[in-house]
Amino acid sequence: MVDSNLQTEDRDVLQDLAERYGVEGVRSCYACGTCAAGCPARRVNPAYNPRKIIRMLVLNEAKSLLEKDTIWLCSSCYTCQERCPQGIKITDLITALRNLAVQQGRSPSGVGMQANLVRSQGRLYALDEFDDKKRKKAGLPSLSPQIEEAVRLLKEES
Amino acid sequence: MTDVGRHPRITLYTMSELLDIKGYVGNFDARILKKARYVKENECTACGECAKACPVIRPDEFNLGLSSRKAIYSPFPQAVPSAYAINISECLGNNPVVCGKCVEACDKKCIDFHMSDQEIVEKVGTIIVATGLEPYDPTELDEYGYTRFQNVVTSLEFERLINAGGPSGGDPVRPTDKKIPKSIGFVQCVGSRSASRGAAYCSNICCMNTIKSTLVLKEHYPDMDIKVFYLDIRAFGKGFEDLYMRSRRLGVNYIRGFPGTVEEDENKNLRVTVENTASSKLEIHELDMLVLAIGIKPAESTRKLQEMLGLQLTPDGFFLEAHPKLQPVDAATRGIFYAGCAEAPKDIKESVTQASAASARAIRLMHKGHITSEPIISEVMEERCKSCGRCVEVCPYKAITCDVKNKKPAVVNAAACAGCGTCAAECPFDAIEMNHFTSIQIMNQVNALLEEKPQEKILAFACNWCSYAGADYAGVSRIQYPANVRVIRTMCSGRVDEDFIWEGFRKGAPVVLVSGCHIGDCHYINANHWTEKRIEKVRKKMAKLGLRPERLQLAWISAAEGARFANVMKEMEKLRAAVTENEISQTVTLLKEKK
Repeated sequence: MVDSNLQTEDRDVLQDLAERYGVEGVRSCYACGTCAAGCPARRVNPAYNPRKIIRMLVLNEAKSLLEKDTIWLCSSCYTCQERCPQGIKITDLITALRNLAVQQGRSPSGVGMQANLVRSQGRLYALDEFDDKKRKKAGLPSLSPQIEEAVRLLKEES
Repeated sequence: MTDVGRHPRITLYTMSELLDIKGYVGNFDARILKKARYVKENECTACGECAKACPVIRPDEFNLGLSSRKAIYSPFPQAVPSAYAINISECLGNNPVVCGKCVEACDKKCIDFHMSDQEIVEKVGTIIVATGLEPYDPTELDEYGYTRFQNVVTSLEFERLINAGGPSGGDPVRPTDKKIPKSIGFVQCVGSRSASRGAAYCSNICCMNTIKSTLVLKEHYPDMDIKVFYLDIRAFGKGFEDLYMRSRRLGVNYIRGFPGTVEEDENKNLRVTVENTASSKLEIHELDMLVLAIGIKPAESTRKLQEMLGLQLTPDGFFLEAHPKLQPVDAATRGIFYAGCAEAPKDIKESVTQASAASARAIRLMHKGHITSEPIISEVMEERCKSCGRCVEVCPYKAITCDVKNKKPAVVNAAACAGCGTCAAECPFDAIEMNHFTSIQIMNQVNALLEEKPQEKILAFACNWCSYAGADYAGVSRIQYPANVRVIRTMCSGRVDEDFIWEGFRKGAPVVLVSGCHIGDCHYINANHWTEKRIEKVRKKMAKLGLRPERLQLAWISAAEGARFANVMKEMEKLRAAVTENEISQTVTLLKEKK
């Protein structure tokens, strides 16, 4: 049973998605599965299913979506969005859901750590000696662990 | 088809193009370009010796390129007339040095390279538009791999393959190795029901076509593994559900979900990835062949024909009928009818039904030899007409002609005029009279309705088909609305002349409402577009004169919207109440001075 309180919250999520991110039209989904069948993330991890995410939004279960880690498995390749016969902006929707989750402090720990890394070093993953050794072998110059320009720009932005 | 070709009272123009069509019901002049065939139609016996001699080989369009033909050919075995034809852009030419082999081969000497295109003018009374369809090209749906993988074919190509008269003699061979596939898949809704690629509508025929194909396959190859990837099976016609159930019972595997990717392996087999939405599992199917059930598009000629005949199209691009329920085969222009996929995607049975109906509707007009026209039509008062051509511009039926250059007065064609009265309303010189809804009649109504206590009245113009019927509906449904509404009926809101509105305000009307059918639902094609423009114009003039434009309202009310009629009237009453006596008397003096 879904309690009425939760339902309003779910409706709020849908409204939020529509108003703030301009991603509407989920209700026109006819569950053809084109998104799920073409999804590279789904091929690797059966737990991830874009069709299910859209379904849950339609069925007003957005809140439980935000609580799960599945929305973070999307690789943002936009295949589903390109192919959706109903023109639903699936990838944009998932990005919007992630934004909502972060705002509510529900992002998985790894995501926060990675964000911090980008903020402090300007890199998606930390460089260490191992990387430098590999580069040296390939005859490449070593890299600075921090990209100052990126860090500066990110600071200015915030 | 042969019956049509042999019928003494049917003239068949093949290889012909309609250049131009003018006129009206009973008197259409069709200019037809009959392209040269280069073979004498009446003498050719279709022995085929010429084609044997012809050295030019081209893909056969009828078999969708699955077989070849020559430059001199008969398009398909049942073609009418049966005479061969030369595609002159492919022919090497009748030069003994270069070729001319067909001329030598023809014993009856019926090949004539001196033929030229002919222009023919035919006078016809009625027209049936049956220009057919265009199949959807699925190349843009890159996930299905059509044209990338040879063993992915369209339903149309597959149809040629399983046809006994087709290039493979009815064997559904796969294109790469000419072997009968052990497993075969069908993908539904290719280019249909899609907002992003293809068309948004359902193409109507593909479900049953696929079911038919599965039954044919199961009959010949009971062990063949057949899978249908579908979203919804729409088996809504007579006997359709039975066929669908038979197909299921025979073991055809119906999988709900569309493929996401199609890949080819080294044996040219196909790996189809699909989300089975019934089990929520990602499945990979190994198939020998994949058939795409392609949708239907409007024919390429549709737009050209629409302009030529002054017809309407639906947003989908098919021809729009005069009424979706009561006149499903008639065009809005009298004397023109539709049949087949020109009007909407449909199967053979429905096409035959519609064609029978269209010909019956045409005969109904033709058999008498004359046409009874409505008395409600417009008439030009020649002495007043200044030949400006405005009426020609606004007539939705192209019923008015006017020689603007030579300053000859406009002429209304009584057979083509439908009686909306837009011309009469738009004529700047009041030179057009609308019979039964004359300016004098309507002006008198305005005056009579506003004779006593005009400040308490709401003057409303309502069109006969929608708004007036809406008022009626409000009445029979016993919906309450302000009793001080005074309605004047016109055939169309397009009839409401600027002068009527000004006269209303001059006689002390606080507010005026003009109402008609919703945009797109006008019973006179698009006459209410002119209403909309006119009201906008009058409102601007009102603002310039210092009158509040809100006092003139425009509302679209359909015949079924009784409640809406009442609501609009309640809104009008609010507006009326806000107009002060002082404002009315100022308007009256201002307009009287102006007059």
